[in-house]
Amino acid sequence: MSESFKVIDVDVHNEQNDSALVPYLPEPWKSRVAASGIGMAGSGYYSPVGVLRRDAVPPGGGKAGSDPDFLLKQLVERYDMEYVILTGVIYNISATHDPDFAAAVCSAYNDYLIAEWLPKSKKFKGAIAVATQDPVLAAREIDRLGGHPDMVEVIISSAARMPLGQRFYHPIYEAAERNGLPVAIHPGAEGAGSSTPPTAAGYPSRYIEWHTCLSQMFMAHLVSLICEGVFVKYPNLKVVLVEGGVAWLPGLMWRLDKNYKALRSTVPWLTRLPSEYIRDHCYLSTQPIEEPDNPQHLIDLFNMIDAENFLLYSSDYPHWDFDPPTHILRKMKPEARRKILYENAKALYNL
Amino acid sequence: MPLHYVLDADDIPEGGRVIVGVEGREIGIYRIGGRYYAIHNYCPHMGAPLCAGVVCGTNLPSGVYRYEYGRKGEIVRCPWHGWEFDIKTGKSLFDDKVRTRSYKVEVRDGKLALVIGGRPDHAEISEVTKR
Repeated sequence: MSESFKVIDVDVHNEQNDSALVPYLPEPWKSRVAASGIGMAGSGYYSPVGVLRRDAVPPGGGKAGSDPDFLLKQLVERYDMEYVILTGVIYNISATHDPDFAAAVCSAYNDYLIAEWLPKSKKFKGAIAVATQDPVLAAREIDRLGGHPDMVEVIISSAARMPLGQRFYHPIYEAAERNGLPVAIHPGAEGAGSSTPPTAAGYPSRYIEWHTCLSQMFMAHLVSLICEGVFVKYPNLKVVLVEGGVAWLPGLMWRLDKNYKALRSTVPWLTRLPSEYIRDHCYLSTQPIEEPDNPQHLIDLFNMIDAENFLLYSSDYPHWDFDPPTHILRKMKPEARRKILYENAKALYNL
Repeated sequence: MPLHYVLDADDIPEGGRVIVGVEGREIGIYRIGGRYYAIHNYCPHMGAPLCAGVVCGTNLPSGVYRYEYGRKGEIVRCPWHGWEFDIKTGKSLFDDKVRTRSYKVEVRDGKLALVIGGRPDHAEISEVTKR
């Protein structure tokens, strides 16, 4: 039962209308957004469920997740959460085309978050959103806000123009390490705008395919981060793979380790098995948790890779595939469940 | 130590390799820089004929995006899955504990002898097969 576990939720989506960011934007972007909105690029996949939980619309109206007081009541208080990390959704801006506009929108959002959300509750912690189209601008934003005591990570989109370990992106990781902040990678805009197709095979027909294959994006980014030597170059960097699934990880570790034994000379900067770098530097969030017919099978998979040491509980509130902390991993032994629901996040984010 | 005379030293040119059969096992003898090294012709991974692999150099441990090619002629790559082994020690390059057996080679009067097990100072000549 939840009473016996403290909870930190590492993926809570606060929402706002585009107009909320206008006061925080400089020109020429202020006039543009005031007149035309942000113009986010969407993946275009239709879901009859929608993205937002229908019961999460605030009593006074507006988008689900847009009212801090209602979010506190419906999520934080109900599940007695100690902290929640507000991840927003603005990271999706990385799938749009103009690097300067994307960077400006992220800066405006970050200032809005700091001014209008974080003061509402000590339980709120923020993620610094940065756009990946220009990693130098992203690094500048990380340095601008990295010292803020309640901004506890950097967040970027998994929808990108190329695998995220490549050297083009290294200024982001360098800045994150310099500021002592983990980098979270979050899906949502896969296939939209300037990003790559959402699956390795191209564009599937339906949302069910798109959503299932988001794990592919995370597999590709993770392999890239390891093989490009990001964790050799930035040995204190931590990366959080948010909402990309978990059950695929054991197989990927085995496959990559096997290939390393043959192909080590192509990545000579890796002096340990790839899976060891994953264990030391990467965290995965739990939602949407895989649900095999026999729940024990998922626990068995986790045990194969000691996943209890690098999983972080997330709810994804107020999105449609929300996982409450009370109804996942119930077959897990209590000490492992405690790590996932609370202790791992507490240590990673210095909470 | 039982010595198994297997070849004349001149039978292996510099950089070359000859596989011999001794007591039912195949052993590859390599000549690198005028010295002789011998390893079991058996990959510990899946039993491939390791000594049929390409002799090469490799990229040594280095910084990210730096390449330090070295050990040319000292590495054999297994023909089945490409694992790299140090010919001088039999150890794989990805894990010291993963290794094929290596044997000492002695040069006596222009002949090569493999040192295989047994008690010290007990030289003997065995029948060998050259492959």
